[in-house]
Amino acid sequence: MTFDDITEDGRLWSVRYDGDEDNILYSLFDQWNDVAWLRSFFKANSKDLESYFKITNINDAITRTIDDSEKLEAIMMDISPEANLDLIFRPLSNSRIAECLLGKEKARLKKLVGRSSWLRIYAIKLEKGVYVVTGGAIKLTATMQEREHTAAELVKIEKVRNFLIEKKIIDNESFIEYIAET
Amino acid sequence: MKEIQNKLSTFKSSTPSRWREKAIERQKNREWLRYSQNIAMMMLDKMEELGITQKAVAERMGCSQQYISRVLKGTENLSIETIFKIESALGLQILEPIFVNN
Repeated sequence: MTFDDITEDGRLWSVRYDGDEDNILYSLFDQWNDVAWLRSFFKANSKDLESYFKITNINDAITRTIDDSEKLEAIMMDISPEANLDLIFRPLSNSRIAECLLGKEKARLKKLVGRSSWLRIYAIKLEKGVYVVTGGAIKLTATMQEREHTAAELVKIEKVRNFLIEKKIIDNESFIEYIAET
Repeated sequence: MKEIQNKLSTFKSSTPSRWREKAIERQKNREWLRYSQNIAMMMLDKMEELGITQKAVAERMGCSQQYISRVLKGTENLSIETIFKIESALGLQILEPIFVNN
């Protein structure tokens, strides 16, 4: 596993998994703009689409995904040196209040599109204002554990977190605290 | 750059990412890409209705299956000739309103 500096100033990184030609952010936006891929995905998850979002027309779901993806991509592209990444990402667990070592985070289009979006970008917070994107998903259900494709994202984020800990890519102060706790 | 970022830099990918380049391209072409995506949706609906595969569409259009796969992604800048071939192969009316209005 390697890492790409997305903002070119060391604040936002994306994982490039072994065997992949480019990083996960590249793959995600490629998928979220691929009509054939989106159609297959929504066909396979049509029950969730209908029960959670009341959408029965697959093409409406595809169009909505492409629209939201465009907005999310624009946010990622336009991250200025002054932008606060802590406002884009928030804790993955809605109940997490305190900061923790290499916290698991998510970015979503809350409030930006005037409705809820099912697109998620998952990341690990290295420290304040510094994030590593580990993956993303079209999340149609209430919890990530409910579906295979979102559960797989939890596995990925944990795998990257373990890699970062193993390679000691954490600030020294946090590492000392982590060792003391474990 | 902070200490932690320097540590991560040691695991930087050996080749540059094309993410930004691709994102800029998508942003620049967003208007015509919408047409391409809509045509892909129309094609996939029709293919399902007819019960035919990408391979069969490629044969009907006289092109490769790889090309059809790209067309169905909705990322191809389609020529009038290709749109005409799609219409003929699938019995679709993509450009029909233009002729009706004229």
